[in-house]
Amino acid sequence: MSVKIRFFARFRELLGTDVIAEFAPGTSLTGLIKQVAGKNKEGYDAIFDENGTFREFVILMRNTKRVDPAESGNIMVTDGDEIAVFPPVAGG
Amino acid sequence: MLSERERERYKRQMMLFGDEGQERLKKAHIFIAGAGGLGSPIAIYLAVAGVGTLTIVDMDVVDRSNLNRQILHFDTDTGKKKTVSAEEKLRALNSDIIVNAIDEEIGGANASRLVGRADGIVDAMDNFPTRYLLNEVALEKKIPLFHGAIRGFHGQATTILPGKTPCFRCIFPKAPPKEAFPVVGTTPGIIGTVQANEVLKYLLGRGNLLTGRLFVWDGLESRADEICVEADPCCISCGTSKTP
Repeated sequence: MSVKIRFFARFRELLGTDVIAEFAPGTSLTGLIKQVAGKNKEGYDAIFDENGTFREFVILMRNTKRVDPAESGNIMVTDGDEIAVFPPVAGG
Repeated sequence: MLSERERERYKRQMMLFGDEGQERLKKAHIFIAGAGGLGSPIAIYLAVAGVGTLTIVDMDVVDRSNLNRQILHFDTDTGKKKTVSAEEKLRALNSDIIVNAIDEEIGGANASRLVGRADGIVDAMDNFPTRYLLNEVALEKKIPLFHGAIRGFHGQATTILPGKTPCFRCIFPKAPPKEAFPVVGTTPGIIGTVQANEVLKYLLGRGNLLTGRLFVWDGLESRADEICVEADPCCISCGTSKTP
């Protein structure tokens, strides 16, 4: 089973643009992103804090719907899902 | 009424929207929060398009490290107040509009007064706290907020219409960490121009605005994506189910 993860901005620079990830049944959204981001420490640290929690500003979407990162541990990924992980930027 | 000089100046864009459109621009008053990387292209393009009144607010002084992107300011402006430099350039670009450049820091005590009776607010800020403040003012006055932000080669933009679209806080409930962000001039050039384009479309009543959509620009790929954004009923700024 596989999903597509779209990273944006800084996350994209660290982890790639459109990542196709294989996953085992019962994998949560959090687990999936940790699995993919885990390949690059800097990428992982950009998304997750020292407790393994999503940094509060991270925006998560699943199939174009917003997901509260705090809930993403309870959401199981399904085959064909498209996940977006986005860090808002603040400069001007 | 447009003067002969204005007709000549705007001739090529009046082919798109005629006298009626140009008059709409002339009557409009747009507030630009910031005269930096985003504020520069925004102010330049709104000025040359003939938006009748521009109010631009910045408290900063031109620094040499600004010059890679803040194209309203030149080498010879280093050390000058950004408002002084901006006003000079905008008036030189278009002597047929009114430019008010205000040297103040935007804060809770003055934001609403500074925006006054402007028809819209353009976010050319470099921090989220002031963006949240501008969001509150836009909601209070029921006027659009044209958001933009950048970092490095990446940028985002969206147009917020109070009561119709998600507000800024619906979209970004939590701020990213404060930092001295990296930036190359083309990025705010692109995002600032997208914001200015949104302002023109709004004033002209033409096209489809970036409402409910976050325009996401990747300058390394030269690719734009779109993220759909929705109002949050529990939003502390605009939510219908927020505690009064």
